[in-house]
Amino acid sequence: MSDLSTRERVHPGSAPGEDFHLEIVGDGDFQTADMKLSIGPAHPATHGVFRIVLEMDGERVTGARPVIGYMHRGFEKLAEHRDYRQIKALVNRHDWLSGFSNELGVALAVERMMEMEVPDRAQWIRMLLAEWNRILNHLMFIGSYAIELGAITPMFYAFREREDIQHLLESATGGRLHFTYNQVGGLKIDLPKGFLRQSTELSALIRKRVPDYHDLVLGNDIFQARTVGVGPLPPEVALSLGVTGPTLHATGVPEDSRVTEPYLKYGEIDVDVPVGENGDSFDRFYCLLARISASLDIIDQIHDHLPAGPVNTKLPKMVKAPEGATYLRTENPLGQLGYWLESDGGRTPWRLKMRTPSFSNVQAIPYLLEGVLVPDAIAVLGSVFFVVGDIDR
Amino acid sequence: MTDVLARQDRALTPEETEALLRDRLGDQILSSSTDFATFTVWVAPGGWHAAAQLCRDESLLAYDLFDCLLGVDARDDGFDVVAVLYSTSTGNRICLRTRCEGGRDAPVCPSLTDVYRGADWMERETYDMFGIDFPGHPGLEPRILTVENFEGWPLRKDFHLASRVAKPWPGVNEPAELDDEGNVIEREPEVGGAPGPYDLDKAMAEQARAVNASEEDQEEGEGTGDDAQASGSEQQDEDEAPAPELDQETYDKLIAEGKSERIARSKAKAALIKKQRAGGGDTGGGGSDEGDGGDDQPSAAEKAEARRKEQAEARRKKAEERAAETGQDDDASDEGAPGADDEEEQA
Repeated sequence: MSDLSTRERVHPGSAPGEDFHLEIVGDGDFQTADMKLSIGPAHPATHGVFRIVLEMDGERVTGARPVIGYMHRGFEKLAEHRDYRQIKALVNRHDWLSGFSNELGVALAVERMMEMEVPDRAQWIRMLLAEWNRILNHLMFIGSYAIELGAITPMFYAFREREDIQHLLESATGGRLHFTYNQVGGLKIDLPKGFLRQSTELSALIRKRVPDYHDLVLGNDIFQARTVGVGPLPPEVALSLGVTGPTLHATGVPEDSRVTEPYLKYGEIDVDVPVGENGDSFDRFYCLLARISASLDIIDQIHDHLPAGPVNTKLPKMVKAPEGATYLRTENPLGQLGYWLESDGGRTPWRLKMRTPSFSNVQAIPYLLEGVLVPDAIAVLGSVFFVVGDIDR
Repeated sequence: MTDVLARQDRALTPEETEALLRDRLGDQILSSSTDFATFTVWVAPGGWHAAAQLCRDESLLAYDLFDCLLGVDARDDGFDVVAVLYSTSTGNRICLRTRCEGGRDAPVCPSLTDVYRGADWMERETYDMFGIDFPGHPGLEPRILTVENFEGWPLRKDFHLASRVAKPWPGVNEPAELDDEGNVIEREPEVGGAPGPYDLDKAMAEQARAVNASEEDQEEGEGTGDDAQASGSEQQDEDEAPAPELDQETYDKLIAEGKSERIARSKAKAALIKKQRAGGGDTGGGGSDEGDGGDDQPSAAEKAEARRKEQAEARRKKAEERAAETGQDDDASDEGAPGADDEEEQA
């Protein structure tokens, strides 16, 4: 911005992208030049090694190009060299905030191909832990999104709740991040003694604390000024891009595979899907927050339904899926997670495709960022909730 | 819930959907299946774009959510591309599947980017992983997930996983290689030809293999020594009987000096290895592994196999001993063995 004589100047009112020659403008005239701003790959606003190249005309973003792949670990290739029982240790790593939900999808896909009957109790417990995992994930984003907008306090509140849930899940699974609690045919072990009492108490406690987030973040004037009407996403664009989860619900489409394609026992209980109206950053955050209450409702219903019985089935000496392919979709915290599992009849999958929600959701970022101002770009980027490992796999 | 159920009443069944597609696209629709609760329709490559367009625009189908697109290695026939579409209005899902034209050498599949926006990155990923070209795509380069100068197509089956080439599977159970009766097929994985791991990978594989081989030598030496000290000469004989590889000269000399048989044997073995190493060093270069080393010395995979067998043997013996000590019958030890396997898998 220092040397005016060597800088290209854009004629006011001209379309971007055309070539312009140096033009002398008088003092006091508004002068802008196209520039490229590279955010990341290590930038706090991208929470992860994710890079985005913004093309800017002054303060306004005219184009955005996400650059991904910094965390590509080749899980799909590795899965082709693992036993069906071993894949779960790979898949709970791509989205490290929702490990339980990730491994659930693979277990369900293998069980479907092997036509395995999973005991009722295992299915209900899976639902219970998947919903706790969902709340765990959403709390993280509630805290981090507030930080991106300049509010530090909600993060502390979010982590207070997260710690309680972590303790609860740790008591059952032994893990905090990578649970590896699902197995083909059920669960590793039954819940520990006193888990249900703790779970019930925690559910009541968090229900009592959810209004805090409404007061602290959602009802905050500054938060609303930063997010309302920023980065609206039309539903037809969202669907065409394959956007799912809270980002899709914010556009007013109540597409949630727990309701439309019930797996486990979701068909037997009421699942509330909160939706927004405008698809802007505010609605995306609202859906995320409202999903916590919806998940608490589900958890309470599961407490009432949980039957007694075994939690796993005896597996054959060799776990072999028959030849064929299946596509199974589950509702992960960030959107719909699909596994395409193809087998040639051997002991390892022939092909395991992970259709991760973050990959499809991040694809919407170039659309969302076009025409917004730089401070709004951060508000938009944070509201398309994604985990970088989930994009890159 | 009621709303959703009402929507699904209007939905076409898989048979009706296939009939509708056949009506519009004729013999471009090849076959369909509903195995494993997955409705898959095989489409000829020529009808790929038209089928997707029809799925989106036909009001009875209305597949509006572009779920995902993936490639599958179809062995000698080349590659398959699968597009998964979902309809939020009917609750139906369809998997369109086609076999790319051009075989394994130059697979080509028409792009769906003008039908669904979401096809953009999905096709870039498929290109990155399989090298399938998508004519009509706005820009497959730069590679989306791998680094820009990456060579080869990682998810093709002829691209070998470098870590598996360098080091055999670190457990008793080899997941990929079992014959019909469930026995482990031991084979040394080959370093891939074209377009597999590129030169750096190959070099790393060689290096890792050399390190493994030397480590195993040491471990074997220590292991047999410990065993011998712990459990006397009988077991030692068993251990060493199948591989009597030692330097006879050194052995005779040491026996003559009045050393014990055990010490003489282990020292003679070390001397042999030292000699072989020196011999390999003289011939020089990286060729030593495949040259004289390969003839005299068992390869890394063979050694690993021997070690694995030893370990399995030792484990079985331990289990038997334990069973004998506690006075339990055979059932208990049978239950113990799968437990040990499980632990290994989780580790």
